[in-house]
Amino acid sequence: MMTAKDIVKKYSDTKTLPHVAIKVSQLVNDERSTMHDFEEIIKLDPVLVTRLLRLVNSPYFGLVQKVESITKAVVFCGMKQLRNLVAVEALRQMFHGGDEQFSREKLWLHSATVAILAEMIAKRIFGFAAEDIFLAGIVHDIGLVAEDQVAGEALRKAAKAVQQGKGELIQCEQEAIGTDHCEVGVTLARDWKLPDEVLKAIKYHHDSSRKFPLQSITSIIQLAEFMAAKMQYSPVPHAPVPALSESLARHVKNMMANYRVIVRDLPSEMAKARELYQIE
Amino acid sequence: MMTDPTFDNVFDELVAQNERQQVFLRLLAGLLPGVGLRLLLVDGSTVVAGAALALRPEREKKLLESARKRAGVVALKDGKGGWLYAMELAELEGVLFFVLPNKADLRSHPLGEASVHNGVRLALMMQEQEELHAQKEQFVRQIGMLKQQHGKLIEDNYRQYRLNQEKDKEYAKRLESEISQQTAELREANARLAEISRLKSDFLANMSHELRTPMNAIIGFTELLAETQLTGEQGEYAQTIRQSASSLLSLINDILDLAKIEAGKLELDPQPFDLPEIMKNVAAMFKIPAHAKGVEVFWSFDKRVPAQVWGDGNRLRQILVNLAGNAMKFTERGRIDIVVECIKETEQGVLATFAVRDTGIGIPEARRQAIFEKFTQADGSTTRKYGGTGLGLAICQQLVALMGGEIAVESEVGKGSTFLFTIPLVAAREPVKIAETDGAGKNAAASPVATSILLVEDNIVNQKLASILLSRQGLQVGLAADGVEALAQLKTQEFDLVLMDVQMPNMDGLTATRKIREIEADPAARREYASLRNRETPLRIIGLTAHARREDEQACYESGMNGFLTKPIVKDKLIAALTAVQ
Repeated sequence: MMTAKDIVKKYSDTKTLPHVAIKVSQLVNDERSTMHDFEEIIKLDPVLVTRLLRLVNSPYFGLVQKVESITKAVVFCGMKQLRNLVAVEALRQMFHGGDEQFSREKLWLHSATVAILAEMIAKRIFGFAAEDIFLAGIVHDIGLVAEDQVAGEALRKAAKAVQQGKGELIQCEQEAIGTDHCEVGVTLARDWKLPDEVLKAIKYHHDSSRKFPLQSITSIIQLAEFMAAKMQYSPVPHAPVPALSESLARHVKNMMANYRVIVRDLPSEMAKARELYQIE
Repeated sequence: MMTDPTFDNVFDELVAQNERQQVFLRLLAGLLPGVGLRLLLVDGSTVVAGAALALRPEREKKLLESARKRAGVVALKDGKGGWLYAMELAELEGVLFFVLPNKADLRSHPLGEASVHNGVRLALMMQEQEELHAQKEQFVRQIGMLKQQHGKLIEDNYRQYRLNQEKDKEYAKRLESEISQQTAELREANARLAEISRLKSDFLANMSHELRTPMNAIIGFTELLAETQLTGEQGEYAQTIRQSASSLLSLINDILDLAKIEAGKLELDPQPFDLPEIMKNVAAMFKIPAHAKGVEVFWSFDKRVPAQVWGDGNRLRQILVNLAGNAMKFTERGRIDIVVECIKETEQGVLATFAVRDTGIGIPEARRQAIFEKFTQADGSTTRKYGGTGLGLAICQQLVALMGGEIAVESEVGKGSTFLFTIPLVAAREPVKIAETDGAGKNAAASPVATSILLVEDNIVNQKLASILLSRQGLQVGLAADGVEALAQLKTQEFDLVLMDVQMPNMDGLTATRKIREIEADPAARREYASLRNRETPLRIIGLTAHARREDEQACYESGMNGFLTKPIVKDKLIAALTAVQ
């Protein structure tokens, strides 16, 4: 049996978030950081520079002139979107490999779907900027990656138990590993200095016993998680999907037409994200 | 490939069975008041709305069949005088059965069927409208959000702009303070250096005084000694003392010169001079001693070089003497040539090359650079065999540099060396009156006009020496130890000339001179001074100083002196000075 800290410690020994991702995340949280500071960091990573420029010059931004300087690109896309770009780039590296019981590739697809859905809900239903929510979606299951790396066998045992309907994933993880991916994930994300709201969402995205405001990142991630699982975008194939919390169910019922539109538009949004973030 | 999931797939638990159809029937019932509706779906389930609709299974079957056969509304008598209707609704994947409150056949009215169709369309559209409305709301929110984001970006950029400005300001401030601090430090260091430099010059001046004063005595008294009745042996000793003292003096002068050069204090003193005269003199200096060891000294002068030139003749002589002296030292037999050649004529004069060529031991190539360094000779062993400090060439090099040239050497070991330098020479406008202050006692015969001289000097030895030298010239000498005594003497006795030491206790020479000039300017005071009262011209005053610096000379003239003489007092110089101030 292991604790979340054990897993994070062991995992961090083998895989670390690239320096640039941590640095950018810090800069976003720093009131006094400037575009120049971003440029100083980003220019060290040529892949990132290419992606950033491709992002800013994509039709999504609809700029008339081609942007060729990093500073200008950061100005146009905003610090948080830049951070997300870096995060996607950095995290993508961690989501490789997998088998029948547990697939990191599928987990990546799941995470991306949750991120995109959560972003859509935040933007379209609640009308607020969703960069932190997108980030929360991308990282919310990072605990699973760490568990897979450090305690792969135990995790597979848990996944199998879930497939056999022996309980929800986090319960089975607790039994097989001694901790669950929410605890592991939040421990890891804390090291990465992600925003508090994002940490909360990672920690509670499977917790339907607690009440969160409807417009909180945690609630939105829970809803997106449910929808993605229902769509079979799931790291554990054919696992039963736990029911939506009562308050979220009521919310969806009241906004049914809105959610119809969201489900309908998801494929095109995913295509767009694929273009923006190069998510395969 | 997975088909795109629908809302109903995702939220299956939230959605009642046939919810969409129920909504549709509710909407349609509202549009057609009194209607009874029943929708039979492909899976066999039914949805109902509006008035009750009783339908017997065989009638339902019949209606269903005909409705599926043809588009539009089909009808069947209900057996109670009214009609039962049915139509296929592809949009809802089912067949709609309905009854109307009116007994008449719907189809008998020209607009009857159309109004049912329109009702169905309208209900479908209303249902669709709900989604369109949601879509529209979402667009509006997204646009609002984009606006917000845009505003935030602008705000953010403004914040960045302010931040950058602030950072720039801070940077500039820091830079400024750093610069001002550095400037202050540099200024301080500079002041310290200036102070050190001043101390060094003072030290130099003092050393010059301290060294020259005893030299003054040694040389002067040796000269006096040589003029007394001596035995041959004594004469030889006196001669040796004289020579040693002279070489010591020249060494001291070398060291002081070098120190001055290094302190940047050496300046050229340009005056018109006669170049062939200088060359002749230099050659003459070495002719006799050279001849004694079997070396001949020649000099030649290129006629294209103007004879009368403007420059520091004394320093030029110093260079030539130095080079010729070296040639002498290292040449055992053969010849020494002192040459000047015109390289190029310029607007103001010529570019001339001076060369001193010998047939001496030569200098190995490896040492040619080193000989110009201070305290260095061609090699260690020569230092022993040939005397000298190794300062001469270093000084020559600096002096030539001051004159705008560079000194070079060509040499072949065993065959000889040539030292040469090229400098611009500016032709003097007026012919030079050859200064008679140099050479071998030429003006010893010239008798000074003054007859009685007041010698003001605090150093007893110097006082004695000078007074003896002056007496020998047939002059009357009065003595004073400082400025105060000098003024007292001038009051009571009549003197034609004053030799005034600059550095003295009580009242120094400069102050005393100023005092004398003041008295001369005041007729009342003047009457009280025997030396001043009957004069038509100012009393002649010649300064005596151990300080060979230009500022000392300047100070002498500024105080009102007519001439200037550096110690040690040598007979020839003294006489020359006395003659010069006539």
